[in-house]
Amino acid sequence: MTAGTVSKEPLPQGVGNFTGKWMIVTGIALLGVIVGIVGFLVEKNQGMVATGMRDLGTMQGATWGVYISLVVYFVGVSFAGITVAALIRLFNLEHLKGVARMAELLTVVALILGAMAIVVDLGQPLRGIVNLFRYARPQSPFFGTFTLVISGYLFASLVYLYLTSRRDAATLAKRPSKLRSFFRLWAAGYENTLDQRERDRRTSFWLALALLPLLVVAHSSLGFVFGLQVGRPGWFGTLQAPAFVVLAGVSGIGHIIVMAAIIRRVVRAKRRIGMDAFAWLGRFLLILLLGYLYFVVVEMLTLIYQPSIAEQGLSEALLTGTYAAVFWGSVVALVLPVFALAWMAITRSWKLSWLVAVGVLVNIGAIGKRYLIVVPSQTHGQLLPYGVGSYTPSWVEFAVAFGFFSLGVLMVAVFMKIFPIIELKDETIEVELDTEEVMT
Amino acid sequence: MTRYGMAIDLSRCQGCRACVEACKIENNTPSAVFWMHVFRLEQGEYPNTSISFLPRPCQHCNNAPCVKVCPVGARFKRDDGLVLTDFDRCIGCRYCEVACPYGVNFFNWRDPEAAFADYQVPFDDPALVPVTGGAIPPYKNPDLEELHGEEQRLTAGSAHFKGVMEKCTFCVQRVEKNLAPACVQNCPVGALQFGDIEDDRSPVSQFIKDKKQFKLLEDLGTDPSVVYVGGTPPASDAHEIERPLTKVEA
Amino acid sequence: MSRRSVITTLMIVVGLLLMVLAYFVGGAPWCADAVECSNPRLEWSPAIFVLGVVVAFSSAIYYEVAKDKKE
Repeated sequence: MTAGTVSKEPLPQGVGNFTGKWMIVTGIALLGVIVGIVGFLVEKNQGMVATGMRDLGTMQGATWGVYISLVVYFVGVSFAGITVAALIRLFNLEHLKGVARMAELLTVVALILGAMAIVVDLGQPLRGIVNLFRYARPQSPFFGTFTLVISGYLFASLVYLYLTSRRDAATLAKRPSKLRSFFRLWAAGYENTLDQRERDRRTSFWLALALLPLLVVAHSSLGFVFGLQVGRPGWFGTLQAPAFVVLAGVSGIGHIIVMAAIIRRVVRAKRRIGMDAFAWLGRFLLILLLGYLYFVVVEMLTLIYQPSIAEQGLSEALLTGTYAAVFWGSVVALVLPVFALAWMAITRSWKLSWLVAVGVLVNIGAIGKRYLIVVPSQTHGQLLPYGVGSYTPSWVEFAVAFGFFSLGVLMVAVFMKIFPIIELKDETIEVELDTEEVMT
Repeated sequence: MTRYGMAIDLSRCQGCRACVEACKIENNTPSAVFWMHVFRLEQGEYPNTSISFLPRPCQHCNNAPCVKVCPVGARFKRDDGLVLTDFDRCIGCRYCEVACPYGVNFFNWRDPEAAFADYQVPFDDPALVPVTGGAIPPYKNPDLEELHGEEQRLTAGSAHFKGVMEKCTFCVQRVEKNLAPACVQNCPVGALQFGDIEDDRSPVSQFIKDKKQFKLLEDLGTDPSVVYVGGTPPASDAHEIERPLTKVEA
Repeated sequence: MSRRSVITTLMIVVGLLLMVLAYFVGGAPWCADAVECSNPRLEWSPAIFVLGVVVAFSSAIYYEVAKDKKE
C-alpha cells in the first residue's frame, strides 16, 4: 500500500476495514454472547433455581455468587480506565496519550457489563429497572451503586470519551470514506483551531477533576454495600471501601496493559504506545498492588488475631478449608506480579511478555478476591448455629459470565472498526500511511 | 400505640415443630422454606452433651438491617412493629437476605407450582380436586391474596411468584383480625406468646415479667421484638443436629 | 462572560441542584422505622437524581460544541 492515492487510502488503524481475522474474533465473541443469552433465558424461564445460588441459613447456600462477584469486578475494572485517562490529560503525559482512548473505552464497556451483571442477578429484572428509578432509597448503599456508579459515572465517562475523540472525528471527516457522514456527526462542527484546542484542554481538565471525586464516591459506595453489614462476619469493617478502590485500580491497570499490548500489535502502532508507556503503567500497577497487598495482610491479621467464633470459622475456611485453593491461588496471582514488576522496575528493563502475563494474572487474582469477598461470609459467616454451607455455580452462571466477557470483546472489536482506538497524532495522517500501518 | 412482640419460653419448648407446621399451613410456604424454624442444638463433647431447642421466627427488629438496605423500600417496618415485604415492589436483589444476621429470609427461586411439586403430594388428585377446587396447595389460604394494613400492600403469604423475597410476617393476615400468629396459636405447651409488648398488662408482657430474658445477637444493635426466657443464648460450640429437608433442585 | 459560559454554568448549577433536591428532599427519608421510610417523598426522585448528573456533565458537551456568538 503506497501513500499518495488519496481517494483509495484506507482509514487509519483498520477503521472500516473488515478483515478476515476480525471476522473470526468477532464471530467467536458473538457466539460467546449467544451462549450467555441462552444461559440467561434458561434462568428467566426456570427461575433463579437454575443457578447454584441458594438461601443462607436453613438452606445453607450462598445467595450472592458469581454474578455479584462479577458486578464488583467489572465496576472495579472501570475505575482504572477513566482514572488513567483523566490522569493522562490532567498531567499531560505525552507518552501515554496513545492509551487514553482505550482506557476510556474500557471504562464504558466495563460499566455496561457491570450494570448488566446486576440486572441478570435480580429475581425481577424488568421490575428492578423501573422500581430503582422510581423508588430507590438513599439509605440503601445500592442507591449509590445504582445512581452514581451505573447511571452517573457511565454517562460521565461517555461524555469524556466523546469529547476527547471529536478532534479525530473531524480529521477523519475530511477524508472520503463510507463512514464520512458518521464522523461528521460525531465531530459536531469541530474546528482544529488554537482556540478550540484551548477549550478542549480546559474542558478535559475540569471534567477529569469532576470525575475523580465522583469515582471515589461511587466505588466507595460499592464497598459500603458490603462493609456496613454488621450481620456478616468478614464483610463488616472499615477497610472494605478503600480496599475496593485500590483493587479496582489493580484490575483496571492490568486490563489496560493487556489491551494496549494486543491493540498496538493489531493496528501496528508500536511507536504510538512505546515501552515508556508500559513502564509507567507497570510502575503504577506495582504501587497499587503493594497497597492492595498491604490491605490484604492487615485484613487477614485482624481476622486471625482475636477473631469472634464466626470469624474463626471464616478464616479457617479461607486459609486451610473450602476456599483455600481460591484464596492462595489469588494471593499467588497477586504476589508473583509484584516480584515481576519490581524486577522490571529496578532493572529498568520492561518486557512486554512479562507485562501481559502480569496483567492477566492480577485480573485472575482480582476475580478470585472478589469472589472471596462475596461468598465465604455467606457459607461460613452465620452468627446463628446453622452449620456450614456451600455454593457451586451452575453452568448457567458460567455461561452468562462467559457471555459478559465475550460481549466486552465484541464491543471493543466493533468500536475499533468505526473509530480509531488510538488517538491520531496531530496532522500526521499522511505520516502514518507512509509507514504502512495497515490492518492485516 | 400497639407494638407487637413475641416471647418464647425455652424451658417449655420440646422440639415438636407444631409451630413450624402451623406456619407452613397458614402461610402456604413451599418445600424447603421455613419461616419459623426450630434449631435442635447440641453442645459439649459426647458423652457430656446437652440438647436444646431454639425456635427462631423473624425477629422483626426495631433497628432492622434488612429495612435499611432494601433499595426500593419493599421491605419496611410498620408502626405496630411488624417488618413486612411488599411482594409487588420487591425486585429480588436479595440484599435483605445477606444483611440479616438471623438468616430468616427466603427467596422464591422457582415458580410456585414447581416449588410445591417437591412435596410429592398429588395435589391434582381427581378425588381432591372437587374439594379443593384444584388449589395448590389444597389448603390454600385466601387471606394471603389480599392487601393488608393501612398501607394496603401485598405482604401476606408465601410463594406468590418467583423472583421475590419473603419471610415470617408474624402472620399479618391474622394479627389484623386480632388473632395470634399460627405458630403461637398451635404450640401445644404454650411456649410462644404474642401481643403488645408495650402494654404491661398484655399476656405477652405478663409471660416474661420478672424472668431472666435475652434476645438473639443482642450486641449487634438490631433490637429484636422477640424475647427469650427460660434459657440462655446458644453457646459458642452449639451446633445443629437434625436438620430439615432443604435441598432445592431446578 | 460569554453566553456560552453562562449557559454552561447554569447547566452545572441546575444539575447539582437536581441532584441535591432529589437526594435530600425527594428521596425516601433516611430512616427504617415507619412505613414512610420506604417511599420516596416524590416518586421518580432517583430518576431526577440521575437526570441531574446527566445535565451537569452534559454542560461539558454544550461548552465544547456550542458556537460562540460573541465573546
